[in-house]
Amino acid sequence: MNRVVITGVGPVTSIGCGVDSFWSAALQGKSNIQPIPDSWKSFHNFTSNIYSPLPVIDYTNFTISKVDQMQLDSSTLLALAATDLALQNAQIERTLENEKKNIWHLQNVDSYRSGVFIGTGIGGISTLINTQANHTLTPLKIRLGKNDLTKSESDSVVFQKVPGRFNPFSVAMIMPNATSSAIGIKYNLKGVNSTSCYACAAGTIAIGTAFQQIKNGVIDFAIAGGTEYLGDPFGGVFRAFDLAKTLVSNFECIETANRPFDKKRSGFLFSEGGAAVLVLESLEHALSRGATIIAEISAFHETFDAYNCMSLDPSGSEIVRLHTELLKSTAINPHEIQYINAHGTGTILNDETESSVIEKLYGKRVYVNSTKSLIGHTLGASGAIEAMVTALSIKHKTTHISKNCSDPVRNIAIVDKVESIDIQHAISQSFAFGGHNAALLFKEYLD
Amino acid sequence: MNKDEIKSKVNTVIQDVLRVKSEVIKPESRLKEDLGAESLDMVTLLMALEDTFKNSISDEDAAELTTVESIVSYISHRAEAN
Repeated sequence: MNRVVITGVGPVTSIGCGVDSFWSAALQGKSNIQPIPDSWKSFHNFTSNIYSPLPVIDYTNFTISKVDQMQLDSSTLLALAATDLALQNAQIERTLENEKKNIWHLQNVDSYRSGVFIGTGIGGISTLINTQANHTLTPLKIRLGKNDLTKSESDSVVFQKVPGRFNPFSVAMIMPNATSSAIGIKYNLKGVNSTSCYACAAGTIAIGTAFQQIKNGVIDFAIAGGTEYLGDPFGGVFRAFDLAKTLVSNFECIETANRPFDKKRSGFLFSEGGAAVLVLESLEHALSRGATIIAEISAFHETFDAYNCMSLDPSGSEIVRLHTELLKSTAINPHEIQYINAHGTGTILNDETESSVIEKLYGKRVYVNSTKSLIGHTLGASGAIEAMVTALSIKHKTTHISKNCSDPVRNIAIVDKVESIDIQHAISQSFAFGGHNAALLFKEYLD
Repeated sequence: MNKDEIKSKVNTVIQDVLRVKSEVIKPESRLKEDLGAESLDMVTLLMALEDTFKNSISDEDAAELTTVESIVSYISHRAEAN
């Protein structure tokens, strides 16, 4: 069995792109929270009215061509940017092999012993919405445009937002495996190419799958992570989560509205999207190329609630089993864990159940935070972003605060200040619509 | 926009999409035979032209755009008509 190490990370989030920018913002407890676009409100009166938008991203800075940008969904562009950042962070030299197709060669990486593992909750939903809007509304727009009586209608927001084209690449943009495919093609990685569609646990399971493949000797090198893009011109995706009563609402102040694990929490902060990619290698592979090791992954486990598609099992029994099996697989005891990066959505049920399990298994011995308290919920990207945060927390021996948790739901050690913590073993966990539970166990890399 | 500006922008789009050097793009260059455009390149080229000139190009018109000059003429005529 191979040891598996993390040698590079690349985040693209609402608070920072690239590891230095992101980590600095996280340690400062920064968030980017804005009112939802006015144009969304013209379609529906939502209960929630804030979200965490991404910054404007110039994809040409990440070896993503203008042609790529026309042919790929935003969820794939985010992941390609995150991959570019992760490969830079891992100090893997890249050379352009085919300028027309924008295909790159990774130095010291065997194409046939390498894989791509990407998680996504909904794949190219933005493209799906845009193409369907064009498909259904363009004939109406043309008809109304020819009729002077309806000029005000043809000038309305709905028609302004109709995309001018039904993208001919839409099939390959919408499919959830488009992202792992695009990364595999761009870097000519032929070993394994896998997509994990497990809603909010997708990123965690993608990394876990990559971990298992390297551990078992199938491959030596992996690009693994998660991505999600939930923006659309009409706010339709936002409405779906708003209608499910999952989003933050009834708050006094926009800056303190998002409060995972706090008694006054009301739901999760909708994120426009994000991505994180980790470079994973067998220890032998990493050492042979002189890589700097951020942390080691020591175990992965997943369980299934078999309870309800849109609700956690409130008993938390499968989360308990998740932890028990995770620790058992590497003979680690609960008292050896110093830190848990929680799923921590901020919904009433998640935080109640998750904190109950943590209290039961670990008491106040482990530090707990929610990265979603900073950036909101990025669905399929969240597990990957949180895995990255866990690895960085081990490396830097500190972690970010769990923001706005002034009155914790339980007697657990919520991180309320940035301080030195001797983290040797840590867990990152995700729970998903459908009933999927997944966790990764990390440890400090020691020779 | 005059014809020289249109020609310059068309050349830039062709360079970006087909990844060919500026010096090989001649007015008489055939997109497929001389500049190596494959079918997906042609679709992408039309999208890029639509984005650049803020005009939609119908399938019927697109079928006639086979050379660099035919694109420049087509866009020039559309610009004059507007």
